[in-house]
Amino acid sequence: MKKLIYCVAALVCVFSFLGCAGQQNNNLPSQDMLDPPNLNGVWQALGSAHWNLEGQNAFKGPATDVLGALGGIPAGVSYVEGGAIPYTRAALIQREANREEWNKLDPAVKCYIPGIPRQTYMPFPFHIIQSDNKIFVAYEFGSNSRMIHLDRPGTRAELPSWMGYSTARWEGETLVVVVTDQVAETWLDAAGNFHSEDLVVTERYTPMGPDHINYQAVIEDPKVFTRPWTIQLTLYRRKGNDARILEYKCVEFAEDAVYGHLRKGEDMDQPNVKKLF
Amino acid sequence: MYLPKYSFAVVLSLFLGTQTYAEVPRTDWGTPSLQGTWDFRTMTPFERPEQFKDKEFLTDEEISKIETDRAKAWEARGNVDFEEAAKSEGQQGDVDVGYNQFFLDLGTKVNGTKRTSLVIDPPDGRVPAPSEAAIARYVEARDMWARPPEGPEDRNAFDRCIKGFNAGPPMTSGAYNNIMQIVESEDFVVMQAEMVNDHRVIPTSATEQLPDHMRFWKGDSRGVWEGDTFVVTTTNFNEHQMFRLTGPNMTLTERFTRLDEGTLEYKFTVVDPDTYDVPWTAVMQMVKTDADVYEFACHEGNYAMPLMLKGARKQERDGTSKEDDTWLPSWSKPRT
Repeated sequence: MKKLIYCVAALVCVFSFLGCAGQQNNNLPSQDMLDPPNLNGVWQALGSAHWNLEGQNAFKGPATDVLGALGGIPAGVSYVEGGAIPYTRAALIQREANREEWNKLDPAVKCYIPGIPRQTYMPFPFHIIQSDNKIFVAYEFGSNSRMIHLDRPGTRAELPSWMGYSTARWEGETLVVVVTDQVAETWLDAAGNFHSEDLVVTERYTPMGPDHINYQAVIEDPKVFTRPWTIQLTLYRRKGNDARILEYKCVEFAEDAVYGHLRKGEDMDQPNVKKLF
Repeated sequence: MYLPKYSFAVVLSLFLGTQTYAEVPRTDWGTPSLQGTWDFRTMTPFERPEQFKDKEFLTDEEISKIETDRAKAWEARGNVDFEEAAKSEGQQGDVDVGYNQFFLDLGTKVNGTKRTSLVIDPPDGRVPAPSEAAIARYVEARDMWARPPEGPEDRNAFDRCIKGFNAGPPMTSGAYNNIMQIVESEDFVVMQAEMVNDHRVIPTSATEQLPDHMRFWKGDSRGVWEGDTFVVTTTNFNEHQMFRLTGPNMTLTERFTRLDEGTLEYKFTVVDPDTYDVPWTAVMQMVKTDADVYEFACHEGNYAMPLMLKGARKQERDGTSKEDDTWLPSWSKPRT
């Protein structure tokens, strides 16, 4: 398996002229003779996409009273091609309203399944287990997961779900995953960016070497956006003892926010979050 | 890459008189393939019923009768007026454990082992008597579950959507969602139960146990192939671990053996000196299915938790907390 990774890495280097000294192979098989790239392993996005896809200054978060400097929200660049998300006029008003009270409205604050693409760039690792016809992705955040079907081209789910329905194909070295049938309740980040039930996400996972994947997601939703738009970020391989996902069952950490007002002695009429059931 | 293929294993062993294996799908790296979706519904009881006191296996005729009787009872249940039946038993009607035929997906077949119970060791098919300390621990938890909850932590891990009641580890057949799926690479086997969608990513080469202070809701699982059996050892459970009265120091050993194209044997052994003086073992056969494992968004749809908490607060306001326990499902009420 490791040989395969090195073989694929060498190919990427040769074809992209990255100058990977010492890895050239004059007897490389043609692309159609190769197995698909091996994406097995533990990966994680760095950066601030989960806070705000469009980028932001650092600012004081709602938890600085108890967490101090650890509770601030970090600055970040835009991961959106062109910088801004092309909302319709009405949808932009909705996004601003979401942003106004984001921590009371954000589904991920409540530990609801973040959906795709947000689950990919949550600040937690995820583990890809790849077989020839199925790819299972196990995410640490929430112990969530999804099955990616390589053997069901063009099919759709019988029902919508929080993680949607993922079918995939290989285009050369790129794993192309089409995600449909997601519920409308998930957000794209913690900044109020949202979508409708018509969301279709086309993800492209392209190895950039043994330890990096270029992650691109095209987001289409005519109810909310004026045109398809694209985000791009890098996924990094976790290595050594760090290359495993642990347990972050977020329910136990969301219960204060979700049910705190219903505890004994609290004011039932003053919930910490909104849109709860 | 992974390419399932068929092969006949250990043909020569026929002549050598050792164990033989049926044709099973194998991975490109030679191990039996466990990949697929597996159904672990069964009507075989976990422990051996009194009526089969000294009987380990059922005959085909007995199995046929048991399954026929179950089918008739199931059909009859479909015609029951739950509201009236529950009231006649002093229950609250269909608001109390009101699962009709649509929701229940119990097994309708005796397990492929043809045994009278899933427990096979001790030989009487019964889980050994737990220690007094384990019983006391359970009673304390049960009493907490039986009182109006002061907060979500007063409810059990299943009500909180943190764990699935049959998802394990170990996996056990329950009222519904008795299905799990496996995807495998050479280095990892991932198992996901439908109940609460929990998954375990299990390394296939023996890895070191996590430090003692790291404790998980579902423990830490490590695997190794022993011949054609995938053996998974799970330790490092947290203090909420209560499978069959076990505690956080349980060592669970699960053994997965693909018997043929459609059958996966699942055997597990519980070792927990805090709870049981002796280890005990259960075994069942899971059946391959074309059905899908669906998303089980438990927490996202947990209407029960806020309703229980609101009910408890209302009872406090009304001063009825002690006299009215109708909010509590009958199966959660203390039993003598």
